[in-house]
Amino acid sequence: MKVKAKEKNGIVKVKVLAKHQNIGPEEGEKKKKEANFITSVVAKVGDTVVYEMNGSGFMSKNPLYKFKFKGKKGDEIEVTWTDLKGNTKSKKVKIK
Amino acid sequence: MDRRKFLGLGLAVLALAPLTKLNATDYRKEKPDAWKAVKPADGIKALYGDITPEEKGVTIKAPKLAENGGKIPVVVKSDIEAKSVAIFQDANPRATVAVWTVPEGGIVDYAITMKMKGSGKITAIVEGKDGKFYSKVLPIEVSKGGCGG
Repeated sequence: MKVKAKEKNGIVKVKVLAKHQNIGPEEGEKKKKEANFITSVVAKVGDTVVYEMNGSGFMSKNPLYKFKFKGKKGDEIEVTWTDLKGNTKSKKVKIK
Repeated sequence: MDRRKFLGLGLAVLALAPLTKLNATDYRKEKPDAWKAVKPADGIKALYGDITPEEKGVTIKAPKLAENGGKIPVVVKSDIEAKSVAIFQDANPRATVAVWTVPEGGIVDYAITMKMKGSGKITAIVEGKDGKFYSKVLPIEVSKGGCGG
């Protein structure tokens, strides 16, 4: 997972590029692959949740997420995704 | 401490950590029916109940013609103080694409890449903190179906 966070005028812009097949159940049946997709993405700065999304099998493969929140340079943001099978992946970066 | 025990401790901490710190609303757990809905209207009902959203205050930015239905960039924006935002579409086997819980003081400016099997309408609903709902519908054309199409 790649995470980039940049602050400008008190607003932090974040880009997350996750590596995931994101195969929905119907797609899985058709392609004879096991359905698995990112079900949740949460981003935190310290203990504060700044972004949370629940996804579906209709997000693209290797999805790109972008969002904004009020924050400052130097803080650390941690992005975690969880998928249908319970796998999770986290990445922590410093806001530039 | 031997390595196995140490690793075991590490795993235990990892397992506990997300549960204790998350104050997130996991819509997949709370509203499972919303994810099974076939039509956007059913997804909206399952998620928010019988609502009459006002068509204002929300913008959806997406290509009018998506060349690759497997990766359609969509941006949902709103200046409304929101509790949650949800996106649906009517071109896939099921309607609900994503739901965001907007944190305190959050900014509704979310971009994602999604799939659509064919041309259709994207619906975005913003649940305002004022208890009202706002929506926007955007039709887009897809030249090459992306949901295994």
